[in-house]
Parts: sequence; structure tokens; C-alpha cells
Amino acid sequence: MKKFVKSREMGLVILLAILMVIISVKNPAFIRPSNILNILKTNVILAIVSLGMLVVMITGGIDTSVGAIISTATLVTGNIMVRITGNIWIAFLAGAVTGIFIGILNGLLIAYIQIPPIVATLGMYSIVSGTALYITKGAYINNLPDTFTDFGRITFLNIFPDGNGGKMGIPIQLVFLAALIGLTYFILHFTKIGRGIFAVGGNRMSAERIGYNVNKITVFVYGYMGFICGIAGVVHTSIMRQVDPNAFVGYDMQTIAAVILGGVNVMGGEGTITGTLLGVALFAVINNGLTLMKISTYWQSIILGALMVVSICFVVIRKNQSEKRQIKVEIDQEVTK
Amino acid sequence: MKKHSKEWMLLGVFVLLFVVLSVLSPDNFLTLRNVQSMAFQLPEFGIFALAMMVTILTGGINLSLVTTGTLGGIVSALVMAGIYAKGMKEEIAIIAALLVSMGISTLCGVLNGYVVAYIGAAAMMVTLGTSTLYEGIGLFLSKGNSISGFPSAFYWFGNGTIAGIPVPLLLFIIIVAVTWILLEKTPWGMSVYMVGSNKKAAEFSGINVNKVMLKAYMYSGFLGSLSMIIMMSRYNSARVDYGSSYLMQTVSAAVLGGTAISGGYGKVFGVVIAVAIMQIISSGMNIFGLDRSLTTVVTGIILIGVLTLNFITSQKGSLIKNKLKEE
Amino acid sequence: MEKDVFIRLDNINKTFPGVKALDGIHLEIKKGEVHALVGENGAGKSTLIKILAGNYQPDEGGQIVIEGENCTGLNPMEAIRKGIIVIYQDFSLFPNLTVAENISISNQLEKKGKLVSWKEIKSAAEKALKSLEVDIDVEVRLSSISMAKQQLVAIARALACEAKLIIMDEPTSTLSKSEVELLFKIIRNLSRKGIAVLFVSHKLEELFEVASIFTVIRDGRYIGTYPAEEMDNDKLINLMVGRKVEFVHQGAEKIGKVLLEVKNLSKKGNFQDISFELHEGEILGITGLVGAGRTEVAQSICGILPPDEGEIVIDGKRANIRSMEDAVRYGIGYVPESRLTEGLVLSKSVEDNAVMTVFHRLKGSSGLVNSKKKEKLALEWIKKLNIKPGYPHMLVSKLSGGNQQRVVIAKWLATDPKILIIDEPTNGIDVGAKSEIHSLLRKLAAGGMGIIMISSELTEVLAISDHILVMRRGRINGRLDGSLAKQEAIMNAAILNKSDMKQAAEQGGLL
Repeated sequence: MKKFVKSREMGLVILLAILMVIISVKNPAFIRPSNILNILKTNVILAIVSLGMLVVMITGGIDTSVGAIISTATLVTGNIMVRITGNIWIAFLAGAVTGIFIGILNGLLIAYIQIPPIVATLGMYSIVSGTALYITKGAYINNLPDTFTDFGRITFLNIFPDGNGGKMGIPIQLVFLAALIGLTYFILHFTKIGRGIFAVGGNRMSAERIGYNVNKITVFVYGYMGFICGIAGVVHTSIMRQVDPNAFVGYDMQTIAAVILGGVNVMGGEGTITGTLLGVALFAVINNGLTLMKISTYWQSIILGALMVVSICFVVIRKNQSEKRQIKVEIDQEVTK
Repeated sequence: MKKHSKEWMLLGVFVLLFVVLSVLSPDNFLTLRNVQSMAFQLPEFGIFALAMMVTILTGGINLSLVTTGTLGGIVSALVMAGIYAKGMKEEIAIIAALLVSMGISTLCGVLNGYVVAYIGAAAMMVTLGTSTLYEGIGLFLSKGNSISGFPSAFYWFGNGTIAGIPVPLLLFIIIVAVTWILLEKTPWGMSVYMVGSNKKAAEFSGINVNKVMLKAYMYSGFLGSLSMIIMMSRYNSARVDYGSSYLMQTVSAAVLGGTAISGGYGKVFGVVIAVAIMQIISSGMNIFGLDRSLTTVVTGIILIGVLTLNFITSQKGSLIKNKLKEE
Repeated sequence: MEKDVFIRLDNINKTFPGVKALDGIHLEIKKGEVHALVGENGAGKSTLIKILAGNYQPDEGGQIVIEGENCTGLNPMEAIRKGIIVIYQDFSLFPNLTVAENISISNQLEKKGKLVSWKEIKSAAEKALKSLEVDIDVEVRLSSISMAKQQLVAIARALACEAKLIIMDEPTSTLSKSEVELLFKIIRNLSRKGIAVLFVSHKLEELFEVASIFTVIRDGRYIGTYPAEEMDNDKLINLMVGRKVEFVHQGAEKIGKVLLEVKNLSKKGNFQDISFELHEGEILGITGLVGAGRTEVAQSICGILPPDEGEIVIDGKRANIRSMEDAVRYGIGYVPESRLTEGLVLSKSVEDNAVMTVFHRLKGSSGLVNSKKKEKLALEWIKKLNIKPGYPHMLVSKLSGGNQQRVVIAKWLATDPKILIIDEPTNGIDVGAKSEIHSLLRKLAAGGMGIIMISSELTEVLAISDHILVMRRGRINGRLDGSLAKQEAIMNAAILNKSDMKQAAEQGGLL
């Protein structure tokens, strides 16, 4: 527990708390349950995708094809639902499989053809999003079956006042977030491959020496990211109740931004789920809060950008200082006579 | 000659594509009108690609490239429209706009370069943050709207011709030449390649690594402003989201052009050809009535294909070397 | 083979292109034995360790027998399975994982199934630490504990892997006196448990405390194996260095004015109270063990590691050097220790490397760099320094070590330096090329340059130094005249502390 108090995560919690207090004072509507639930629902996708990005960045990689994977997953799922069946299980399965497939392609390019992650995922983004756009011509899919749209509306624990006299509850999409948090945590902390992800990110050479199959781990990591994006796509569709192929252009940048705010080291080896979620929360609170405070949305990007730069500088300067203090030579304490 | 084989192969790809497209559609592709049209479109992307290349050469990257340009563009657009509205001479408005744009974008580059070089943070992270920051400032200043009200003479930058050659293309050619000279023929440029290849050895050789990198980001920002000026002239307005789709494509162009993403290697010649390839693919697809979306597909396939080919040939090369060693 | 012998190496040779690293090595380690491997830098110790660990294969004719079984042709994973664990100087640990995980990582990988068991990780780690009788919190991140404790974690990992032979390469270089005591206690503990320890170190007084038997190698050749009772400092040093001097001493013909004066230079955690003078025409040799702080002093003068206290005076004026760029302006050149990573840009050509210090001098009349001028300059140095092959556009990575070093020297000569600092000038270079570099350095000094040469090779230091500084643990522990000094005196100053040195001097008249 003491570790948590001193850590970066605690700093984020404090920052978050301060922000929330400031916003609530300016506009008490902020802490109304209906607003909080709204924030959660709007950012659940970002949170889900950030989990995948966290895993990728722990190994020191990056995935800029995120937007394309999500879009494609929504398209595949949407089409299946409209033409074949509205079965929810099949919808999620289709999304997951689509995502895993693209993700594994990314992983193979990076591991076996040694194309740097940023380039490989960029290339895949072009190919996948272009193909998807070509096939669908950018058309929305609006006539999703009722089974699915009803599913998307499910809420539980309907005890929160919605501001209009009625009651609202926790949207089901959050259940998916919770489940994926659990799954990601489980993989990262309880499986061999999960520990391998940390090992590779921490000291790739030692990991190879010890016997980890770094290529296998790489393919797994990007495949997992694909899986997460696939699920995120279906979850998003359940919220919007339609498929919009253009909804995720540039999404990778937002995800990376949230993950960086959460303290992930771009060099690899570091990163916690808590930190990432706090980063997303920070992102979400800033966006929502600034709107409520009637501060123009234009300030959001400025504040976000400034925060990111400052937080990066902070981390790097601290690291440099500790490196400078390292003792290289144990100086002889005997005074020469 | 083996030394520049990557770039010659690229040139071959370009020529091949050009020939194929011309043959397949002689009436539409190989016309003066089409060539001119490509010549108008290519420069703004090409200048961005070079701007990206320069930072990648130092071992970094500039994800804030486009927003640096748009910020400079928006401020200069406000200044230009403002001066023009006040009834002053067109020339003053335009010159002011140019100076302001270059100044602001270069300043953005200074911030990038300072944090990357002197503080030592990872370029990708930093420029992602500054990109958001610059975009925000641009949004704030423009309120998300397009800014117009430019003097009519400004139209010339993006749409005029000199002896039939589009002004943007001439500008591009000048920038290509200047960039080439800077990289290959100045101490700074030669230091850039050394820093990108082995930062420590460069430092140990007396090169001021920080200054070299700072200048790279400044130049990158400066080029970004030039590209944006062309875009502003073509669209006759300035907006925060102009050019946003270009960002990742410039990385593709740089890498396709033979630039090593880890730094230290990259030829202006290669990047220019890569830009040309991407341009004719885009135009070609347009002419054949193929969806825009397929352009990105083909670009992606070419990018990954070329890199895979590079990988295979380098593997074969080292396998042969190892065999010789054993004997 | 006797029942209590764990591993025996016979007739081990190892040849690399142009260099015979090991020649006829014989090594026998009994179970539970604490065996010291002794030799100078470059004697072949690292190569031998790599053979034991399975990273290198011995030349044909060599034999490795482990517990009665012939095991020639080991690979790293097999070596680990046989119980041979090497603890390298960098420990090969994961700074971002916990102590417990670092200790148990190999075991978790080997076990069946896809899951890890944190209970097992913790208990195996605690067990290993307990058997070392060491108390470290297993839940903390590895990077948060001291280097000394990290080393103990590395040893614990070896134990968890059921090591039968633990090889420790220079384990005490970053430890304080009390930490060293703890390490020795643990080594004695391991010995009692039947785990053998091969201890590679320069610090002879420490070896005597813990090792029961010594194997000495010199220049890759096996000199002998001696039980500790028969040994003492003098005998050991004698065996380590006793060879006829291969290089004839070349001294300076004329030593001129003072070029560089260093006064009480200190930097926390690196070196303390360093003072010396460098004259025109002089070669000043700085030697001592690896980790004594020699490179740090050099880098301080070059501005790469600016000092905390003290003065650098050049040509009579106080110099403020905060970067290599400053140093170059003062006329200082620096040929670094790691030629491949610090001295050269391997992906670039000979030409590029040779001129990278003087880009601004390549400008032609147009103000731009003239490529013909660049090539001409490179060819000039290729000729002057006899760099082979003499193609300026060839990738510098393709040259031999000796020629690569010449390129680095050329790059500095191009700046016309008054002071040249060269760190391990002939590291990894074959004997023939070594003496050529020595002649080159002598020639440069004769031209008026002042040269500071950092070297671990005693014959080299004795061959061309006019004066010798011996550093030990961050301080200067000996100043000797180059033409009069003997190898034993240098080694004494490098290894022994003041009181031991006095004793040795009284006993044997070594000074």
C-alpha cells in the first residue's frame, strides 16, 4: 500500500481529485450521477482500447492501426448482424476474430520481417482501412436487428436519478470494460506469456538468454491488441446503434495520449492497468469538465497537450537525475600519506 | 552501383508505374492537364514528407508536423486577412503572412527540439503532446472555423504558373534542392547523419548533438509552414484540420523512400521518388474511377512490400557473407 | 575421473581470426570448491568463461567433462541445465520486475502449463535467499535495491536453478567493504553446500580470503594451478605478469613545456584528488584495474563528465570544459575505449568517420562542403597512417581492429590536437598491429603532442610511457618513471592499498 501512495498513480489520483473538485465547484452538474454515467459511457471505448495499447507499449512497441481494426470489426459485425443473424454472441465472436486476424498480421510483420512497429502498423492501417472503405463505400449501417440494439440499452442497478425524474443505471458496456480489465490483468500477471511481456520490455536481451520466445510474445501482443479492438468495435456499435466506418480515424493518437498520461514508458517495461485507466479518466474528466465549465472546447486540446508535455518532461528529468547520481567507482577512503 | 540500390529500385518502380498507367490510359493519364494537376497536388505533400524525413534522420520523429503548419497558417491567415481588411497594400499583407507563418512554425519546432534534445524525452511522445497543444491553440484562435479574406494575389502561390510550370512545383523543387544541399553539403547536415547513426560517437567526436537536433526540428517546422502556405492558397482559406490525413502518409513516404526509421540513413532523392510514386498512384486511381480508398490500400501494400523485399535481400546478403566466413 | 570433481577442461584452445585467445587451458573444479581464476586484462578469462557457459565452442581437440560425462559442444541452455550458471558483471536481471520474480524466472519458464504461480515465485525466492542467509524484501522492484543486493539476487537465481557451479565475473567491483564481507560469507556457505564457485577477480587480497585454489592464465596460456597455502601476493603477481617484455622501451627524446595541468580533480562516485602534469613530447600512461576510474578522469578532461571540484589548466590558463565540443576547441582529442560503439559510426564509410570532427573545414569556395576536399582529406590520412584497405568509401565496419583504430586516430589528428587522450589503444588488436600503433604514438609525441594513454596492458604501458600513473579505487596510488618501472611495482600499486604496498616494498625491494 505504501508503494501506491508514493507512486505516480497516486499523483494522478490527486490530480484527478483536484480537477474534479474545481469543476464541481464551477458547475455542480458535474458530479450528478447522470453526468458521471455519461462520462463513463462516452469513454468506455477509449478505456478498452487503452488496455490493449498498454500491453503493446510494455513491450516497447506501438500500434497505429487501432482505428482501422475497430472500424473493420464494426463493419464485419454489422454486416453479419444485418444479413445473417442478430445473435449477440456471434456478433462478439465476429468482432473478436476480425480483430485477432488483423492483429496477428501486424505481429508477424513486426516479429518475423522485422519491420519497426510504427511502420508496420501504419502500413496495415492503410491497407485495412482502405479495403474496408472500398467495400462499404463508407455507408452507414442503420438497420441493426432489435436483439442487438436492445442489448446495447441494457442497464442495471437502476437507482441513479437521471435528472428528469426517472432512474438510470450502469450501462452494460461497462461490464465489458470490467471483464477486459480482468482478462488483461490476468494475462499480464498470472500467465507465463504475460510475465514474458514484461521481461521483453524490461531487458530484451536477457529475456532471450533466459529462453523466452520473443517472436511468439510479439505476435501474441499484437494479436491481443487486435482482439481488444474487435471487442471495442462491437461495444461501440452497441452504444451508437449504428455502424459508422469513419468514427475512428485518428483514434490511435487519443489512445496513446491517454496511455502516456497514465505513465507508460515508451521505451517499454513499465505500465500498470491502474495508471492507464487513470490516464483515461484524466482525459475524460478534462473533456467533460471543460465543457461543463463553459470553457470552450478549444482549451481542451491546449490543456491536454500541455499536460502531456509536462508529464513527459517530469518523468524524463527525474530519470536523468537518478542516473547522474549513480556511483561508478567505489572511491578508496584511505587518505594517502 | 550497389550503394544506392534502394533508391534506384524505387526509381524503377516509379518509371514502371508511370509507364503502366500511361499505357492503360493514354487519353487521361499522359495528358498535359493530368500531369499539371499532379504537379499542383504533389508539392504540399512532398514538402511535408521532407520535413518528416529530416527529423527521422536524427533518430526521432515529428508527429506535430501538420499541426505546426496549421498553427502557423492560422496565425498568418488572421494577420493577412486583418491587414488586408484594413485596406493596406496586398503585398504587405502577404509578406507579413509569410513571415509570421514561418516564424510561428519554426518556434513550434524550437519547442519540439528543445524537449527532445536538451531534456532528452522520446520524440514520439513529445511531438504527440505538442501536436495536441498546437492543434488546441489553432482551434482556439480560429474557433474551428475557416479563416479567409485573403488578398487575391495570394492565389498565385498555390495556383499560379511560371512558364507553364505550377508555382508550387517550382517551390517544391527549390525546397528539394535546398534540403539536399543542407543535408549533403553542410556541416550540419553531415552531423545529422552521424547523430542519427550513433549519437554517442557523434558526441565523442565533438559534435554538439543537442544543437544539431534542435536545428532539425526547427527546419522541420519551417518546412511545414511552407507546405501550409501552399495549401492555404489552394483552398483560399486556413483551417485547423487541413492536411491532417497527411501525417502518417509522410512517414510512409519517408520510409518508402529508403529512410531508416531508427535514423542515420535517408536520401532526399529517395523520398522525392516515393512521394512521386504515391502521387501517381493517387492520380491513377482517380482516373480509372477507382475509389479513393483503394489508393491507401495500394500505398500500404507498396510500403510493406518494399520493406519486405529489403528484408529478404539483406538476409540473403548476410547469409552469403556468413557462408564465406566459414570457408 | 575422481568422484569429487565437478568439471574438467583439458587442452582447451580457442582461435578467432588472427588471434589465439586460449592456448592449452587446463582447469579442474571440484564440487564445493572455491576456485580463483587469475590473470591480467586480456589474459583470456572472459573467453574461458564463455566456453564454460556454452556461448563459445572450444577448438577441436579440447575436452569438457562434467561429472564424468563428456560434454564438449555445450550450448547455453544445456550448460544451465548441467548446473553451470554465470553471473555476468551486468547481472542479466530485469530492473522492472520484482526481486522474487527475478530469482524464480527461469524456474517458472521451465515448469509445465501456461500459468505462473506467485506463491511458488515467492517461496522459491525466499528459500533461495534464506539459504544464502540474506534478508531482502522479495516484493520490491529490482531497480530500487543497491547493486550489491542485486548481485545477491543474481546469486539467488543461480541457486534457484540448482546451480552446481557458479561463475562470478569480477563480483566485487561495485561493492563496499562490508558488502564484500557478506558476499564472502555467502560464498563459503555455498561451498559448504557442495556448490562450486569459480571466482574471477583482480583483487588479490580478497581472493586470498575466500579461495582455496588458484588457476593462473597469462596471454591465453595456462600457467598453473596452485593451492592457496602455497601462494602469496608476490608469487601470484609474478606468475600473472612474469613474461619477457615484448616491446622495447621507447622513451621521449625531448620533453617540452607543460601542456596540461590537472589539479585536485574530483567527481563524486568517480574519482578523487587527481593531480598531474602533461608535457609536450610526453606519453603519460595511466593504468590500474578496470573500474579504478581511469576512463572517468579522461572523460572529465574532455568535458563529457565535468568534474565537481578541481582545476584544469591548459597552456597556463584555466580551462572551462563542459562538453567535448569545448575540449576540441582547447586542442584535446579523445580516442574512446569502445572503438566500435563510441569511437566509430559503423554504418558509415571510412571517409565519413575520418572527417567527422572537422566538417567545417571541408568547405570549398562556395561555402558548401566540397566532396572532393572530403575525399582528399580522408585519403591523406589513409596514406599517413597506413590504413588498409585504402578505399575511403568502404564501410568502416569491414576493416580490421587495428585499421579501425587508425581511422579513429586519424579523425583526431585531423583536428591538429595538442593533447591526445587515448583509452586502451590496442584493445582487440593483434600483436603486430599493436607495435605499429605504439610507434605511431611515439612519433606523434616526438612531433610535440602530449599523449595520455590509458591502458590495462602492462607491457604496453611500460613500452612507451615516459611517466606512469597508477590508479586504484578512484585515486592515484602510484607514480612511476617509465623507463625505470617494473611490472610488479605497477601491479602492486594497482592492487594493494598503501600499507600492503609498503610491506611488499620492505620485503622484496620491488620499488
